[in-house]
Amino acid sequence: MDSLGNLIDGFSVALTPENLLWALVGVFLGTFVGVLPGIGPALTVALLLPVTYSLDPVPAFIMFAGIYYGGMYGGSTTSILLNTPGESASIITALEGNKMARRGRGAAALATAAIGSFVAGTIATVGLTFAAPVMADIAIDYFQSPEYLALIVLAFTTVATLLGSSMVRGLVSLFLGLAIGLVGIDGITGQPRFTFGNQHLLGGIDVVTVAVGLFAVGETFWVASHLRRGTSNIEHISGSKWMTREDWSRSWTAWLRGAFIGFPIGSLPAGGAEIPTFLSYSVEKRLSKHPEEFGKGAIEGVAGPEAANNASAAGVLVPLLTLGLPTSATAAIMLAAFQRYNLNPGPQLFDNNPELVWGLIASLYIGNLMLLVLNLPLVGMWVKLLSIPRPLLYSGILVFAGLGTWAQSQSVTGLVVLYAIGALGYLMRRFDIPVGPAVVAVILGPMAEIHFRRAMQISQGDYSVFYTRPVATTIFAIAAIAFVAPTIIRLMNARRDRVPPAPSA
Amino acid sequence: MTHETPAADQQPTPSVSNRDRTPTFWDRWGELLLALGVCAVGILVVIETQDIRVRQGVVVSPRIIPYIVGSGLILVSIWYAIEIIRSPRTGIAAGEDSEDVDPEAGTDWTVIGIIAVALVAYTLLIGRAGFVIASTVLFCISAFAMGSRRILRDAAIGLVLSATIYLLFDGWLGVRLPAGWLEVLE
Repeated sequence: MDSLGNLIDGFSVALTPENLLWALVGVFLGTFVGVLPGIGPALTVALLLPVTYSLDPVPAFIMFAGIYYGGMYGGSTTSILLNTPGESASIITALEGNKMARRGRGAAALATAAIGSFVAGTIATVGLTFAAPVMADIAIDYFQSPEYLALIVLAFTTVATLLGSSMVRGLVSLFLGLAIGLVGIDGITGQPRFTFGNQHLLGGIDVVTVAVGLFAVGETFWVASHLRRGTSNIEHISGSKWMTREDWSRSWTAWLRGAFIGFPIGSLPAGGAEIPTFLSYSVEKRLSKHPEEFGKGAIEGVAGPEAANNASAAGVLVPLLTLGLPTSATAAIMLAAFQRYNLNPGPQLFDNNPELVWGLIASLYIGNLMLLVLNLPLVGMWVKLLSIPRPLLYSGILVFAGLGTWAQSQSVTGLVVLYAIGALGYLMRRFDIPVGPAVVAVILGPMAEIHFRRAMQISQGDYSVFYTRPVATTIFAIAAIAFVAPTIIRLMNARRDRVPPAPSA
Repeated sequence: MTHETPAADQQPTPSVSNRDRTPTFWDRWGELLLALGVCAVGILVVIETQDIRVRQGVVVSPRIIPYIVGSGLILVSIWYAIEIIRSPRTGIAAGEDSEDVDPEAGTDWTVIGIIAVALVAYTLLIGRAGFVIASTVLFCISAFAMGSRRILRDAAIGLVLSATIYLLFDGWLGVRLPAGWLEVLE
């Protein structure tokens, strides 16, 4: 029961008036930016990163916890009222929630999303509290460089094959990210590579620059060049009925199921938030007494996936904190934030910086509660943000993108890289290539290389180190299955479709 | 949303009202060009890798991983090209449906062009004229590109926004931003 004691210590850090204030600021800013159309949680965290630059690590990460959860809340409001999912995990919320809002049930949809996020977020944070130390212990006992490499390869395959419209598009994104990650100083020999003689590239291309370029600049180009002429349909919530007794009884089981689907899947070192939300949606559809309402605005279809989404967001923190392994774009940016403070997430983080880790976890509980209190009454204010004229909104996003990159790199080279990546982001958006794998690859690629070379140095150049250690071999095997399985399933389905049951003349 | 001008006078591409419109040049060849670009990046990585020095007697060559990434890019680009040719996409990128995006409108290259100019201006100005001026210029040009025609209002909003950011970040949060021509004010 070490976790409880540590958690209490964490609360004693997080509950000081100053840190409570930072949590509140984080929650507020996170929701504010997250509500803005076109800005998903990953971009929210990336754009707000400069705000924490001058803070000490503990308050910075307490604020970060608030930004992270706040961005998720804000995103669901946008999805429900504007049908603009900021990222793929919110597609389901946009699907059912927006339909509900169109039927005049916007207030109920927002309420079930907010309360469901709170319930599931709290359950998942409890899960994180107890799972993270166990995972850290396992990592200390069993994981060395070969195992870490195997885990990273597993994350690569699942992130690339599970996201996006086709596997090859995910792989294109992944390898582009890996190529961007090569730029800079070689982690082991210390020589510059792929810098083309530019000294500003010696430090490498930062993952925040990549995320802001792909998500903010690329998205702005995309929206601007296809801007809908005329007015957007913002659904109104004034006058719509709040949650009825029936809504409550239909929602609460969906919240719980969502939480128990979202947290375990999110905490796998393969993760991502898309699978749990889609899974939760199909489970709710199957279990519902009103399956005919699905696709037309069923409240379970909002409650379950929203809960799953938030629970997996807490789950993603398990591999991030205990193994240093980000499995979503948002987590990749958070890892970059740790690295700014020379902190390396991983099993040692729990021993070396208990104040920070447990303060962060305690702040997740506090932030979650703040969000519920803040959002139920304030939602009317957030809604106003949805009607910001798009030319002004996206111009503002470009200003903030420039600010973030300048704050990071202090150089024109940084801006040129940002805009080049933005152009790439536009093309990827245009041709349906997911950007998540690229963001994850930028930060995991160099880590994979270091683990590979470290493992090879220890084994004196013997490749058997990767297939004779049981844990590493097992993880590599799972990665191989994850890579091959989708293709085999597709081929089997294609064969079945090709054989018609009874050829008609 | 406020669009001060009617759509017609600033939309050079003919508006098409059907998702299954006849594919344009970009629909048909753009994606193949992208695959070609990915392949080119792969070749560039392989070529540049040969510049990495390998010292005598090292256990692991520092060239291994870059070679894997480069050849991976080339292989994936070939796979990608095959998939594009075998199952060409219809219509423009679906992505997720979004209320702000009109999936039936063609790409408005004028808008992209003007925003690109704004970004170049920003890059050139920020070091000399400073953050506030560069950001205001970027804000105005890009809002104009997206159809806003209330230039004075946009300039005022852009100025207030970037001045607030400057005071907040440079003055309070300790993020250094260039003052540029406005240095005399301090």
